[in-house]
Formats: sequence, structure tokens, C-alpha cells
Amino acid sequence: MTAFDRYLHSVIERGALEAHEDRSAAIEAQHLLLAIAAGREPTTRQVLASAGLDRQAIRAALDLEFERSLNAAGVSLADFDLPRPSPAPKPPTQLGASARLALDRMATVFRKKDLRPAHLLLGILQAEAGTVPRALALAGVDQAGLVATVRRALPGQNG
Amino acid sequence: MSADEIPATRDPADGLAAVAALRRLADQLEDAAVEQAMREGWSWPQVAEALGVTRQAVHKKHAKRLIAAGVTLRRRH
Repeated sequence: MTAFDRYLHSVIERGALEAHEDRSAAIEAQHLLLAIAAGREPTTRQVLASAGLDRQAIRAALDLEFERSLNAAGVSLADFDLPRPSPAPKPPTQLGASARLALDRMATVFRKKDLRPAHLLLGILQAEAGTVPRALALAGVDQAGLVATVRRALPGQNG
Repeated sequence: MSADEIPATRDPADGLAAVAALRRLADQLEDAAVEQAMREGWSWPQVAEALGVTRQAVHKKHAKRLIAAGVTLRRRH
């Protein structure tokens, strides 16, 4: 197992906990992003911090995205007084479509032996539609600028 | 259909995101409502009929979670 494999495994494991907390049946791209932000890997943390993003800021942006997306259909989350259901007994193990797409973007462009943690972040941030780009926009993050910052942080890149 | 029936500012991305968010909200509502019903003594067939799904589907989706939560379940059939 390479260092990157171990890193990917740890992000997916942490992402599963984020998905569990989110009551999601699958690990989605936003859960991997939360996991990266909560992790200790310095390059990815620095890149995210440069855009004002830590785990808490991303969580807040995701919550806002959920609320605003419901609003677009005329539904207000504040109107629901839900009893909180009991959680699933275990965190999910299945990757959702958005997480698989992020991994595919990473794996099809870069050779496996070249992969570094920033490549995973790049795959997540390159989504053109869906929850992650919408949440980033609501947080006031320039997604294209952030992608460029990640690219500069990749090994062998000189700007 | 006249042009003014569709708001000019409607972005398809908003409509698609609304679908995803409504599905998520529906899942949350289902978890809460099924748990509440089972805590109040509903049977699986009753819950399934109320949801418009098969009892196998509702059992598969919720049984483990409710058992882990200590909910006393009535017999499946």
C-alpha cells in the first residue's frame, strides 16, 4: 500500500463519519471535502485555508446550500419540526455518485504513482455542478481560483 | 405555454439542486416518520402501505436502524 493509498483510505474513513453524521446513506464528494478539511495533511489544509475554508466553514456552506436549494422549490426548512430520527447503526461504506466522479477525475488524468493528497482535492473541486460547487459559491469562494491554487500546490508545478 | 409561465431568472441548476435537496429532505422525513410510527406500534405492512412501498423495502431500509435504536418492533407480517 502506497502512502497515497493510506491517505485516500483515511479520507474515505473520515468521510464515512461525516456522511453518518449527515444521515447520508452514501459517502458523497462533500463528505470527502469535509474529511480533507478536518485532516492533518498540510498542503490541502493550506490550500483550503487560503480560501477561508476549514471544516466548520464548509459545514456551514453545505447547510446553507441545502436550505437555499429547498427554497428554490418553495420549501422552507424552518417549517419542518422533525423529531430527529435515530442514526443508522454504522457509518455508510458505499461511495455515492459524486464521490466516485471526483475519484474518476483524479484517476483518469494522473498516473497512480504520481498521486498526492492535493490530487484528490483537485478531483473534488473540479465538479462542474452539484452540492460542492454550489456550497463553495454560497461561501463566496472563487472555485476556478481555488482549483488554480491546488494545481500550483501539486508537485512539479512552478506556478 | 406562454413565456411568462416560466420565470425568466429560473436557472436549471437551481431546479436540479432543489430536486437533490428535496430527496434528501424526503429521506430525513421518512426516517423520522417511520421511527415514530413503529414506536407507536404500527406494523411493517401498515407502514409500507402508508408509504406506498413493499413491506420488504421498508423493512430492508429501516429495520437495522430501529433495532439498533432499541425500538420494539411488531412482527414483520
